Amino acid sequence: MVDSSAPALLRVDGLTVEFPGVRALDGVHFDVAPGEVHALVGENGAGKSTLLKVLGGLHRPSSGTIHLADRLYRPRRPADATHAGIAVIYQEFNLYPDLTVAENVFSGREPYHPFHRGIRYAEMNRKAAALFATLGVSIDPTAPVSSLTVSEQQLVEIAKALSVDGRIIVMDEPTAALSADEVTRLLDVVRRLRAEGRSVIYVSHRLDEVFAVADRVTVLRDGRHVRTTDLSATSSDELVRLMVGRDVSSMFHRDDVAGGDVVLELDRVSAGRRLRDVSIVVRAGEIVGIGGVAGAGQPELSQVIFGAVAVKSGRMLLSGEPYRPKGPNDAMKAGIGFLHEDRKAAGILPDLSVRHNLTISVLDRVRGLLGRLLSPAAELGIFDTFRTRLAIRTTGPEQLIGQLSGGNQQKVLFGRALAPGGRLLVLNEPTRGVDIGAKVEIHHLINEITADGAGVVMISSDLPELLGISDRVYVLASGQIVGHLTGADRTEENVMLCATTGRRVFSAELVA
Amino acid sequence: MKTSTSLGSLWDTWGITAILVLLLAVAPVLTPDFFSLDNAQSVLRESAYLGIVAAGMTFAIASGAFDLSVGGQLALCSVVSLIGFAAGGTALAIVAAVATGLACGLINASLITRLSVPPFVATLGTLFVFRGVSYILTQDGPKTLPYDQIGSPFVKIGGLNVAGVPVPFVIMLGVFAAAWLLLRRTATGRRVLAYGSSPEAAKFCGISPTRLRFFVFALVGVSVGIATLTYITRVWTADGSAQDGFELKVIAAVVLGGTSLKGGKATLIGTFSAVLLISVLNDMLVSEGVPSAYQRIVLGGVLIIALTIDGLRTRFAAPGSLRRAVSGLGVRTPQPGSVR
Repeated sequence: MVDSSAPALLRVDGLTVEFPGVRALDGVHFDVAPGEVHALVGENGAGKSTLLKVLGGLHRPSSGTIHLADRLYRPRRPADATHAGIAVIYQEFNLYPDLTVAENVFSGREPYHPFHRGIRYAEMNRKAAALFATLGVSIDPTAPVSSLTVSEQQLVEIAKALSVDGRIIVMDEPTAALSADEVTRLLDVVRRLRAEGRSVIYVSHRLDEVFAVADRVTVLRDGRHVRTTDLSATSSDELVRLMVGRDVSSMFHRDDVAGGDVVLELDRVSAGRRLRDVSIVVRAGEIVGIGGVAGAGQPELSQVIFGAVAVKSGRMLLSGEPYRPKGPNDAMKAGIGFLHEDRKAAGILPDLSVRHNLTISVLDRVRGLLGRLLSPAAELGIFDTFRTRLAIRTTGPEQLIGQLSGGNQQKVLFGRALAPGGRLLVLNEPTRGVDIGAKVEIHHLINEITADGAGVVMISSDLPELLGISDRVYVLASGQIVGHLTGADRTEENVMLCATTGRRVFSAELVA
Repeated sequence: MKTSTSLGSLWDTWGITAILVLLLAVAPVLTPDFFSLDNAQSVLRESAYLGIVAAGMTFAIASGAFDLSVGGQLALCSVVSLIGFAAGGTALAIVAAVATGLACGLINASLITRLSVPPFVATLGTLFVFRGVSYILTQDGPKTLPYDQIGSPFVKIGGLNVAGVPVPFVIMLGVFAAAWLLLRRTATGRRVLAYGSSPEAAKFCGISPTRLRFFVFALVGVSVGIATLTYITRVWTADGSAQDGFELKVIAAVVLGGTSLKGGKATLIGTFSAVLLISVLNDMLVSEGVPSAYQRIVLGGVLIIALTIDGLRTRFAAPGSLRRAVSGLGVRTPQPGSVR
């Protein structure tokens, strides 16, 4: 249907983007034909988002060229992209929640009355309704955006792109937060856009969608172009191999630890908006990895264990006893520690000192002689213990945590998670945003923690890390466990296969 | 870098105290009888009710919230306390004042937690409600302390001195000592600071927002109840209009002291010094015969200058902190990209 030998609408040559210390894109080439749906796939950190941000005028390349319809395209700001007819729909929407759908669609380009310069609302609403009609959906143009579902908000973004007559519409993980029905509807919209002669760059982790909607696919890995191919000439197995195809670095070290008694058991637990019938087992001294693409329900799983999300159905057992936390406080009292994936927004207490950040999870235990009052001496004792044990580099207990490096902040938060007793640790992205040295130290630390008999649940979107230090791996997709990989089955290919296709792979019985 | 941060934190805690000391040094020059016993006692006596409420308000602001209803609370506590005194003497007057303050605080906390009304809006509403109730209770005229009860222990609170120090000021010192212990040496105080610093992170430290809000607003209410004892025994009379604009004066004192409007940082020493600074300034202006309209302008000017200096330094320097401060006021700003 698309002649890939036709002159390209968009052509990217030798694109390199450097950030301090990192080369996010390295000589990438890439082209999009008119009326083509071109998929862009790769692991986290492969450079997909960077490429989109260059196209959208948010990042400037260090070298390389982009041609749009044979003219040099050098966007310096997002408005340049809009004028050139490139509409990028990022995962984080750019919508005003309190304005109406039509106001959002025509934001900054409202139709004005020629005489009194008032906004012509009737015309604006009519135009918006017409746009939605071409998309084959019905959304009330006068409804406030905050009243829409996520998938409807996405359609508003698409309508916005159409309203500026976008020739190329770029979608970054558009289905990450959508239900199955909504995904089907979105794919229909993508096909309609193609039928109108528009081009779509479709970034997704979900290969089944890529095969369902795209004409060609480009695989990126570690910032480099790996292959561009017609989808009819490849398979999901091959794509996964291309996405992963790298040696697992020897930096990941896992001590041999014999699994002990079962610490935590989840029995068909459903919770939050996504988690359905999740059953997992964690033993003392074991690192259990949880893999999956973004949006599969990992944060919900970790938070249900920590008592921050309520169980809807099913049950949890802690060392064989029923475990029904009413909140994180109950979890901490039971000796469970927690590390949030967003260190900045939900981890550190930025105005508080290192000492206070450490002891906040065990204030009940730093009481002095008077019984009710905190004992600064006891707090300093805890600080000294963890500063030594975790090798936290700080000028002292009173230094504000915000002044530490990311890796050292993370170590303080590890101390906070360990302080309640170290029976079970729930770690979300334990090395996100820390440098390589701190990463190795943190892996070493996790090894040590399990040697002391703690069970660890580790959620990581960094596949080499997930496989490098976990003893077993569960794979989540759309809130369900679709894989349980042990021993030699713990490969990046298997994780990606389960995570992106929902195909089930079990090396062992789910609940041993 | 290192010295500048320690200088900065020194300024946070002691800056306003240093300015107070400076002012005290020049006070006798401008106002010759400033340090006379009568005048000094009067300054300390007058600062008590503002100071006691400011101590409680420091906790609210440290937790990232305001209590705008303290003016209404003070009027209501005063009126109810006077009714209590008429009915049952000293004991009932004291219990009535503190219990009314506590009740007001619990009402505020309930509105905020159960109905999810932002603190700014909830307490703005109750400010009017509490004043309105005070007006209704004084429809037949202001409640007053009767002159024939001048010997009663309750009436004496306002005028009595202990070893030359006014009793209201002694009460204020006690309140600040207790508040300091609460903030710096108890788990609850630490949790207030943690919650103010990052409500989201605090959630994962096992801190319950509901319990925290109840504690903070009840504490403010009780502080108003205690302040009422020193206030009503000085002025002897109250109706719905008592201490109009009090809430803003209290917030001004706390902010002037160096407590951060965005929460997470608090200094009771700063609040204490700021309260004295305001009282000393007022006293000097009064002695110089400056009309009261100008006194308000001076207070406003001092507040703006202090915050400007501080704002230039750090307070609003961090990106996003202004927006956080604004959202702390319960004002919604459009934030593209966060629609979920």
